[in-house]
Amino acid sequence: MSRRPSKGDGGRGPWREELVDVVRAVSGGLLFGIPLLYTTEVWSTGSSTRPDQTLVVLGLTTVPVLLLNRTSGFRSTRDIRWGDALMDTVEAMAIGLLSVTVILILLGELNGRTPLQEGLGQVVYGSVPFCIGIGVAAHFLQRARDESDEDDAGGGDTDTKGSERMNGTLADLGATLIGAVFLSLSIAPTDEVPMLASALDPPWLLGLMGLSLLACYGIVFVAGFAKEEQRHAQRGIFQRPLSETVAAYLVALGASWSMLVIFQNVEGPWPATLSQVVVLGLPAAIGGAAGRLAI
Amino acid sequence: MTDPRSRTGAEWVTFFLACLVLLGVVGLIAGQIIGDQEPAAPNASVNGEVEARGPRFHVPVLVVNDGDTTAADVQVVAELTIGDETVTADQTIDFLAGGASDDLVFVFEDDPADGDLVVRVGGFSLP
Repeated sequence: MSRRPSKGDGGRGPWREELVDVVRAVSGGLLFGIPLLYTTEVWSTGSSTRPDQTLVVLGLTTVPVLLLNRTSGFRSTRDIRWGDALMDTVEAMAIGLLSVTVILILLGELNGRTPLQEGLGQVVYGSVPFCIGIGVAAHFLQRARDESDEDDAGGGDTDTKGSERMNGTLADLGATLIGAVFLSLSIAPTDEVPMLASALDPPWLLGLMGLSLLACYGIVFVAGFAKEEQRHAQRGIFQRPLSETVAAYLVALGASWSMLVIFQNVEGPWPATLSQVVVLGLPAAIGGAAGRLAI
Repeated sequence: MTDPRSRTGAEWVTFFLACLVLLGVVGLIAGQIIGDQEPAAPNASVNGEVEARGPRFHVPVLVVNDGDTTAADVQVVAELTIGDETVTADQTIDFLAGGASDDLVFVFEDDPADGDLVVRVGGFSLP
Protein backbone atom coordinates (compact mmCIF):
# COMPACT_ATOMS: atom_id res chain seq x y z
CA MET A 1 0.00 0.00 0.00
CA SER A 2 1.43 3.36 -0.87
CA ARG A 3 0.44 6.88 -0.06
CA ARG A 4 1.53 10.37 -0.79
CA PRO A 5 2.67 12.04 2.40
CA SER A 6 1.57 15.58 3.16
CA LYS A 7 3.14 18.42 5.07
CA GLY A 8 1.26 17.59 8.24
CA ASP A 9 2.81 14.18 8.29
CA GLY A 10 5.88 14.25 10.46
CA GLY A 11 6.92 14.84 14.02
CA ARG A 12 4.43 12.53 15.75
CA GLY A 13 4.52 8.83 16.44
CA PRO A 14 2.34 6.54 14.34
CA TRP A 15 -0.21 5.99 17.15
CA ARG A 16 -0.57 9.71 17.85
CA GLU A 17 -0.80 10.38 14.13
CA GLU A 18 -3.55 7.76 13.88
CA LEU A 19 -5.43 9.26 16.83
CA VAL A 20 -5.29 12.69 15.19
CA ASP A 21 -6.61 11.22 11.94
CA VAL A 22 -9.52 9.53 13.73
CA VAL A 23 -10.38 12.70 15.68
CA ARG A 24 -10.24 14.64 12.40
CA ALA A 25 -12.65 12.12 10.89
CA VAL A 26 -15.11 12.49 13.78
CA SER A 27 -14.80 16.29 13.61
CA GLY A 28 -15.53 16.37 9.89
CA GLY A 29 -18.48 14.07 10.38
CA LEU A 30 -19.87 16.26 13.17
CA LEU A 31 -19.65 19.37 11.00
CA PHE A 32 -21.65 17.85 8.18
CA GLY A 33 -23.80 15.31 9.95
CA ILE A 34 -25.08 17.00 13.09
CA PRO A 35 -27.99 19.00 11.55
CA LEU A 36 -29.61 15.86 10.14
CA LEU A 37 -29.25 14.07 13.47
CA TYR A 38 -31.59 16.74 14.88
CA THR A 39 -34.29 15.96 12.30
CA THR A 40 -37.40 13.97 13.17
CA GLU A 41 -37.85 12.86 9.59
CA VAL A 42 -34.46 11.12 9.63
CA TRP A 43 -35.38 9.25 12.81
CA SER A 44 -38.80 8.25 11.47
CA THR A 45 -37.38 7.23 8.09
CA GLY A 46 -34.82 5.09 9.86
CA SER A 47 -37.53 3.66 12.11
CA SER A 48 -39.91 2.71 9.34
CA THR A 49 -37.41 1.42 6.79
CA ARG A 50 -37.08 -2.28 5.97
CA PRO A 51 -33.76 -4.05 6.66
CA ASP A 52 -33.10 -4.60 2.94
CA GLN A 53 -33.55 -0.88 2.32
CA THR A 54 -31.20 -0.12 5.20
CA LEU A 55 -28.56 -2.39 3.68
CA VAL A 56 -28.93 -0.68 0.28
CA VAL A 57 -28.55 2.78 1.89
CA LEU A 58 -25.43 1.57 3.71
CA GLY A 59 -23.99 0.24 0.46
CA LEU A 60 -24.82 3.36 -1.54
CA THR A 61 -23.20 5.58 1.10
CA THR A 62 -19.86 3.88 0.55
CA VAL A 63 -19.73 5.14 -3.07
CA PRO A 64 -19.37 8.90 -2.42
CA VAL A 65 -17.24 8.19 0.65
CA LEU A 66 -14.86 6.09 -1.48
CA LEU A 67 -14.62 8.81 -4.13
CA LEU A 68 -14.01 11.45 -1.46
CA ASN A 69 -11.33 9.31 0.19
CA ARG A 70 -9.63 9.03 -3.17
CA THR A 71 -9.44 12.81 -3.48
CA SER A 72 -9.54 14.19 0.07
CA GLY A 73 -10.38 11.82 2.93
CA PHE A 74 -9.72 12.31 6.61
CA ARG A 75 -6.04 11.48 6.84
CA SER A 76 -3.08 13.83 6.74
CA THR A 77 -1.75 11.61 3.96
CA ARG A 78 -3.49 11.32 0.60
CA ASP A 79 -4.52 8.00 -0.89
CA ILE A 80 -2.85 7.44 -4.24
CA ARG A 81 -4.18 3.91 -4.74
CA TRP A 82 -7.76 2.69 -4.82
CA GLY A 83 -6.85 0.00 -2.27
CA ASP A 84 -5.88 2.64 0.31
CA ALA A 85 -9.02 4.62 -0.44
CA LEU A 86 -11.10 1.48 0.01
CA MET A 87 -9.53 0.72 3.38
CA ASP A 88 -10.06 4.31 4.51
CA THR A 89 -13.68 4.02 3.38
CA VAL A 90 -14.19 1.00 5.63
CA GLU A 91 -12.72 3.03 8.50
CA ALA A 92 -14.82 6.10 7.66
CA MET A 93 -18.02 4.04 7.61
CA ALA A 94 -17.19 2.40 10.94
CA ILE A 95 -16.25 5.72 12.57
CA GLY A 96 -19.46 7.28 11.23
CA LEU A 97 -21.69 4.45 12.44
CA LEU A 98 -20.11 4.43 15.92
CA SER A 99 -20.21 8.23 16.27
CA VAL A 100 -23.85 8.46 15.20
CA THR A 101 -24.75 5.69 17.64
CA VAL A 102 -23.13 7.57 20.53
CA ILE A 103 -24.82 10.87 19.58
CA LEU A 104 -28.26 9.28 19.19
CA ILE A 105 -27.84 7.61 22.60
CA LEU A 106 -26.91 10.96 24.18
CA LEU A 107 -29.88 12.63 22.47
CA GLY A 108 -32.14 9.93 23.91
CA GLU A 109 -33.24 8.64 20.51
CA LEU A 110 -31.65 5.25 21.09
CA ASN A 111 -32.18 3.48 24.39
CA GLY A 112 -32.61 0.02 25.83
CA ARG A 113 -36.19 -0.16 24.55
CA THR A 114 -35.31 0.64 20.94
CA PRO A 115 -35.82 -2.47 18.76
CA LEU A 116 -32.73 -3.59 16.85
CA GLN A 117 -34.28 -3.01 13.43
CA GLU A 118 -35.36 0.53 14.30
CA GLY A 119 -32.00 1.37 15.87
CA LEU A 120 -30.05 0.07 12.88
CA GLY A 121 -32.24 2.10 10.51
CA GLN A 122 -31.78 5.30 12.49
CA VAL A 123 -28.01 4.84 12.79
CA VAL A 124 -27.53 4.02 9.08
CA TYR A 125 -29.67 6.94 7.85
CA GLY A 126 -28.02 9.32 10.31
CA SER A 127 -24.57 8.18 9.24
CA VAL A 128 -25.06 9.11 5.55
CA PRO A 129 -24.15 12.82 5.90
CA PHE A 130 -21.79 11.99 8.77
CA CYS A 131 -19.68 9.64 6.63
CA ILE A 132 -19.62 12.13 3.73
CA GLY A 133 -18.36 14.72 6.23
CA ILE A 134 -15.58 12.30 7.18
CA GLY A 135 -14.70 12.03 3.49
CA VAL A 136 -13.98 15.76 3.26
CA ALA A 137 -12.58 16.23 6.77
CA ALA A 138 -8.95 16.75 5.74
CA HIS A 139 -9.90 19.15 2.97
CA PHE A 140 -11.76 21.49 5.31
CA LEU A 141 -10.15 21.08 8.70
CA GLN A 142 -6.48 20.71 7.97
CA ARG A 143 -6.30 23.28 5.21
CA ALA A 144 -8.35 25.72 7.23
CA ARG A 145 -5.97 25.39 10.16
CA ASP A 146 -2.89 25.66 7.94
CA GLU A 147 -4.18 28.83 6.33
CA SER A 148 -5.32 30.26 9.63
CA ASP A 149 -1.94 29.64 11.22
CA GLU A 150 -0.06 31.12 8.30
CA ASP A 151 -2.19 34.23 8.49
CA ASP A 152 -1.65 34.45 12.22
CA ALA A 153 2.08 34.01 11.89
CA GLY A 154 2.44 36.68 9.27
CA GLY A 155 0.51 39.62 10.68
CA GLY A 156 0.29 41.95 13.63
CA ASP A 157 3.96 42.94 14.03
CA THR A 158 3.22 46.63 14.41
CA ASP A 159 0.42 46.40 16.96
CA THR A 160 1.01 46.74 20.63
CA LYS A 161 0.90 43.54 22.66
CA GLY A 162 -2.22 44.53 24.60
CA SER A 163 -4.27 45.47 21.58
CA GLU A 164 -3.09 42.32 19.78
CA ARG A 165 -4.37 40.19 22.64
CA MET A 166 -7.69 42.02 22.62
CA ASN A 167 -7.99 41.87 18.83
CA GLY A 168 -7.14 38.17 18.84
CA THR A 169 -9.69 37.49 21.54
CA LEU A 170 -12.42 39.49 19.81
CA ALA A 171 -11.65 37.81 16.49
CA ASP A 172 -11.91 34.36 18.06
CA LEU A 173 -15.10 35.14 19.97
CA GLY A 174 -16.64 36.75 16.89
CA ALA A 175 -15.71 33.79 14.71
CA THR A 176 -17.11 31.42 17.33
CA LEU A 177 -20.36 33.39 17.43
CA ILE A 178 -20.71 33.46 13.64
CA GLY A 179 -19.95 29.76 13.30
CA ALA A 180 -22.34 28.85 16.15
CA VAL A 181 -25.17 30.84 14.58
CA PHE A 182 -24.39 29.51 11.11
CA LEU A 183 -24.67 25.83 12.04
CA SER A 184 -27.49 25.98 14.58
CA LEU A 185 -29.67 28.63 12.91
CA SER A 186 -31.54 26.06 10.88
CA ILE A 187 -32.14 23.87 13.97
CA ALA A 188 -33.23 26.54 16.48
CA PRO A 189 -36.80 27.09 15.15
CA THR A 190 -37.63 23.38 14.87
CA ASP A 191 -39.78 21.28 17.21
CA GLU A 192 -36.92 18.82 17.60
CA VAL A 193 -35.14 21.00 20.17
CA PRO A 194 -37.95 21.08 22.81
CA MET A 195 -38.82 17.48 21.89
CA LEU A 196 -35.29 16.22 22.58
CA ALA A 197 -34.79 18.46 25.61
CA SER A 198 -37.99 17.32 27.30
CA ALA A 199 -36.90 13.68 27.14
CA LEU A 200 -33.38 14.15 28.57
CA ASP A 201 -32.53 13.62 32.23
CA PRO A 202 -29.87 15.79 33.94
CA PRO A 203 -27.13 13.10 33.66
CA TRP A 204 -27.81 12.86 29.94
CA LEU A 205 -27.57 16.66 29.64
CA LEU A 206 -24.20 16.57 31.41
CA GLY A 207 -23.09 13.90 28.93
CA LEU A 208 -24.22 16.11 26.06
CA MET A 209 -22.23 19.02 27.53
CA GLY A 210 -19.18 16.77 27.79
CA LEU A 211 -19.55 15.73 24.16
CA SER A 212 -19.94 19.37 23.10
CA LEU A 213 -16.74 20.37 24.91
CA LEU A 214 -14.87 17.38 23.46
CA ALA A 215 -16.05 18.24 19.94
CA CYS A 216 -15.10 21.88 20.49
CA TYR A 217 -11.61 20.91 21.63
CA GLY A 218 -11.13 18.15 19.06
CA ILE A 219 -12.04 20.22 16.01
CA VAL A 220 -9.75 23.14 16.86
CA PHE A 221 -6.84 21.60 18.73
CA VAL A 222 -6.60 18.06 17.40
CA ALA A 223 -8.21 17.73 13.98
CA GLY A 224 -6.70 20.89 12.51
CA PHE A 225 -3.45 21.23 14.38
CA ALA A 226 -1.00 20.85 11.55
CA LYS A 227 1.00 23.58 13.29
CA GLU A 228 -0.02 23.19 16.88
CA GLU A 229 2.79 25.29 18.30
CA GLN A 230 1.72 28.30 16.25
CA ARG A 231 -1.83 27.99 17.53
CA HIS A 232 -0.51 28.00 21.06
CA ALA A 233 1.59 31.05 20.27
CA GLN A 234 -1.41 32.95 18.90
CA ARG A 235 -2.24 36.09 20.86
CA GLY A 236 -5.41 36.54 22.88
CA ILE A 237 -6.86 36.24 26.35
CA PHE A 238 -8.32 32.74 25.88
CA GLN A 239 -5.54 31.19 23.83
CA ARG A 240 -4.80 28.29 26.14
CA PRO A 241 -6.63 25.27 24.69
CA LEU A 242 -8.77 24.54 27.74
CA SER A 243 -9.73 28.15 28.48
CA GLU A 244 -10.43 28.80 24.80
CA THR A 245 -12.60 25.68 24.60
CA VAL A 246 -14.63 26.64 27.70
CA ALA A 247 -14.99 30.27 26.59
CA ALA A 248 -16.06 29.19 23.10
CA TYR A 249 -18.61 26.78 24.57
CA LEU A 250 -20.10 29.54 26.72
CA VAL A 251 -20.38 31.73 23.61
CA ALA A 252 -22.09 28.84 21.81
CA LEU A 253 -24.56 28.41 24.71
CA GLY A 254 -25.27 32.16 24.63
CA ALA A 255 -25.88 31.99 20.88
CA SER A 256 -28.18 29.00 21.38
CA TRP A 257 -30.26 30.80 23.99
CA SER A 258 -30.48 33.93 21.84
CA MET A 259 -31.66 32.00 18.80
CA LEU A 260 -34.25 30.08 20.82
CA VAL A 261 -35.58 33.41 22.18
CA ILE A 262 -35.59 35.02 18.72
CA PHE A 263 -37.55 32.13 17.24
CA GLN A 264 -39.82 32.01 20.32
CA ASN A 265 -38.94 28.37 20.81
CA VAL A 266 -38.29 28.61 24.57
CA GLU A 267 -40.83 26.59 26.50
CA GLY A 268 -41.59 26.15 30.18
CA PRO A 269 -39.65 27.10 33.32
CA TRP A 270 -35.89 27.68 33.45
CA PRO A 271 -34.82 24.00 33.77
CA ALA A 272 -36.65 23.28 30.50
CA THR A 273 -35.03 26.30 28.87
CA LEU A 274 -31.61 25.21 30.11
CA SER A 275 -32.16 21.75 28.63
CA GLN A 276 -33.07 23.27 25.28
CA VAL A 277 -30.00 25.53 25.34
CA VAL A 278 -27.74 22.53 26.07
CA VAL A 279 -29.38 20.45 23.31
CA LEU A 280 -28.91 23.24 20.75
CA GLY A 281 -25.48 23.94 22.25
CA LEU A 282 -23.97 20.82 20.62
CA PRO A 283 -24.41 22.00 17.00
CA ALA A 284 -23.62 25.56 18.11
CA ALA A 285 -20.34 24.46 19.72
CA ILE A 286 -19.37 22.47 16.62
CA GLY A 287 -20.20 25.44 14.40
CA GLY A 288 -18.28 27.77 16.69
CA ALA A 289 -15.18 25.59 16.49
CA ALA A 290 -15.44 25.45 12.71
CA GLY A 291 -15.88 29.21 12.66
CA ARG A 292 -12.57 29.73 14.43
CA LEU A 293 -10.85 27.58 11.82
CA ALA A 294 -12.53 29.20 8.85
CA ILE A 295 -12.47 32.90 9.74
CA MET B 1 5.92 13.54 -7.11
CA THR B 2 5.05 10.59 -4.96
CA ASP B 3 6.95 9.09 -2.10
CA PRO B 4 5.21 5.81 -1.33
CA ARG B 5 5.18 4.58 2.23
CA SER B 6 3.53 1.66 3.94
CA ARG B 7 0.54 1.65 6.24
CA THR B 8 1.64 1.90 9.86
CA GLY B 9 0.76 -0.67 12.49
CA ALA B 10 -1.65 1.82 14.06
CA GLU B 11 -3.47 2.19 10.75
CA TRP B 12 -3.74 -1.58 10.40
CA VAL B 13 -5.22 -1.83 13.92
CA THR B 14 -7.79 0.86 13.06
CA PHE B 15 -8.63 -0.95 9.83
CA PHE B 16 -9.06 -4.26 11.65
CA LEU B 17 -11.38 -2.71 14.26
CA ALA B 18 -13.31 -0.88 11.53
CA CYS B 19 -13.81 -4.17 9.67
CA LEU B 20 -15.22 -5.73 12.84
CA VAL B 21 -17.67 -2.84 13.33
CA LEU B 22 -18.81 -2.78 9.70
CA LEU B 23 -19.15 -6.56 9.48
CA GLY B 24 -21.10 -6.52 12.74
CA VAL B 25 -23.55 -3.90 11.44
CA VAL B 26 -23.96 -5.65 8.08
CA GLY B 27 -24.41 -8.97 9.88
CA LEU B 28 -27.12 -7.54 12.15
CA ILE B 29 -29.00 -6.05 9.19
CA ALA B 30 -28.64 -9.27 7.19
CA GLY B 31 -29.98 -11.20 10.15
CA GLN B 32 -33.06 -8.98 10.12
CA ILE B 33 -33.55 -9.62 6.41
CA ILE B 34 -33.22 -13.39 6.74
CA GLY B 35 -35.47 -13.65 9.80
CA ASP B 36 -39.26 -13.89 9.54
CA GLN B 37 -41.00 -10.53 9.34
CA GLU B 38 -44.33 -10.71 11.16
CA PRO B 39 -46.80 -7.97 10.13
CA ALA B 40 -47.33 -5.02 12.42
CA ALA B 41 -49.56 -5.80 15.41
CA PRO B 42 -49.84 -2.91 17.87
CA ASN B 43 -51.63 -3.69 21.13
CA ALA B 44 -52.58 -1.39 24.00
CA SER B 45 -53.06 -2.25 27.67
CA VAL B 46 -53.28 -0.50 31.02
CA ASN B 47 -49.78 -0.53 32.49
CA GLY B 48 -49.81 0.11 36.23
CA GLU B 49 -52.04 1.72 38.82
CA VAL B 50 -54.48 4.52 38.10
CA GLU B 51 -53.27 7.65 39.89
CA ALA B 52 -55.50 10.38 41.33
CA ARG B 53 -53.96 13.77 40.48
CA GLY B 54 -56.11 16.51 41.95
CA PRO B 55 -59.64 16.21 40.54
CA ARG B 56 -58.54 13.93 37.67
CA PHE B 57 -57.39 10.35 37.24
CA HIS B 58 -54.32 9.38 35.22
CA VAL B 59 -54.34 5.99 33.48
CA PRO B 60 -50.92 4.74 32.28
CA VAL B 61 -51.15 2.80 29.03
CA LEU B 62 -48.47 0.78 27.27
CA VAL B 63 -48.66 0.31 23.51
CA VAL B 64 -46.50 -2.48 22.08
CA ASN B 65 -46.02 -3.45 18.45
CA ASP B 66 -45.82 -7.24 18.67
CA GLY B 67 -45.07 -7.51 14.94
CA ASP B 68 -41.76 -6.95 13.14
CA THR B 69 -42.81 -4.22 10.70
CA THR B 70 -43.63 -0.61 11.50
CA ALA B 71 -47.14 0.64 12.22
CA ALA B 72 -47.87 4.31 11.47
CA ASP B 73 -50.60 6.61 12.81
CA VAL B 74 -51.49 4.14 15.55
CA GLN B 75 -54.77 5.31 17.07
CA VAL B 76 -55.13 4.30 20.71
CA VAL B 77 -58.61 4.54 22.21
CA ALA B 78 -59.61 4.46 25.88
CA GLU B 79 -63.32 4.10 26.75
CA LEU B 80 -64.58 4.55 30.31
CA THR B 81 -68.17 3.41 30.88
CA ILE B 82 -69.88 4.33 34.17
CA GLY B 83 -73.57 3.45 34.25
CA ASP B 84 -75.06 4.49 30.91
CA GLU B 85 -72.45 7.10 30.17
CA THR B 86 -69.34 6.35 28.10
CA VAL B 87 -66.41 8.76 27.90
CA THR B 88 -63.98 8.18 25.04
CA ALA B 89 -60.45 9.51 24.69
CA ASP B 90 -57.93 8.81 21.96
CA GLN B 91 -54.30 9.49 21.11
CA THR B 92 -52.23 8.86 17.97
CA ILE B 93 -48.66 7.56 17.78
CA ASP B 94 -46.91 8.65 14.55
CA PHE B 95 -44.58 5.65 14.21
CA LEU B 96 -44.26 2.44 16.17
CA ALA B 97 -41.49 0.24 14.81
CA GLY B 98 -41.63 -3.55 15.03
CA GLY B 99 -41.03 -4.60 18.62
CA ALA B 100 -41.16 -1.00 19.85
CA SER B 101 -43.31 0.27 22.70
CA ASP B 102 -44.61 3.63 23.79
CA ASP B 103 -46.01 4.91 27.08
CA LEU B 104 -49.17 7.01 27.09
CA VAL B 105 -51.29 8.54 29.84
CA PHE B 106 -55.08 8.99 29.52
CA VAL B 107 -56.81 11.47 31.79
CA PHE B 108 -60.41 11.02 33.00
CA GLU B 109 -62.61 13.19 35.19
CA ASP B 110 -64.12 10.11 36.86
CA ASP B 111 -62.42 7.29 38.72
CA PRO B 112 -62.00 4.33 36.33
CA ALA B 113 -62.47 2.04 39.38
CA ASP B 114 -66.16 3.08 39.40
CA GLY B 115 -66.80 1.68 35.92
CA ASP B 116 -65.43 -0.37 33.04
CA LEU B 117 -62.29 0.85 31.29
CA VAL B 118 -61.43 -0.52 27.85
CA VAL B 119 -58.12 0.38 26.20
CA ARG B 120 -57.56 -0.73 22.60
CA VAL B 121 -55.89 0.12 19.33
CA GLY B 122 -58.48 1.66 17.02
CA GLY B 123 -56.44 1.34 13.85
CA PHE B 124 -53.12 2.10 12.14
CA SER B 125 -51.62 2.51 8.71
CA LEU B 126 -48.73 0.70 7.03
CA PRO B 127 -45.93 3.07 5.98
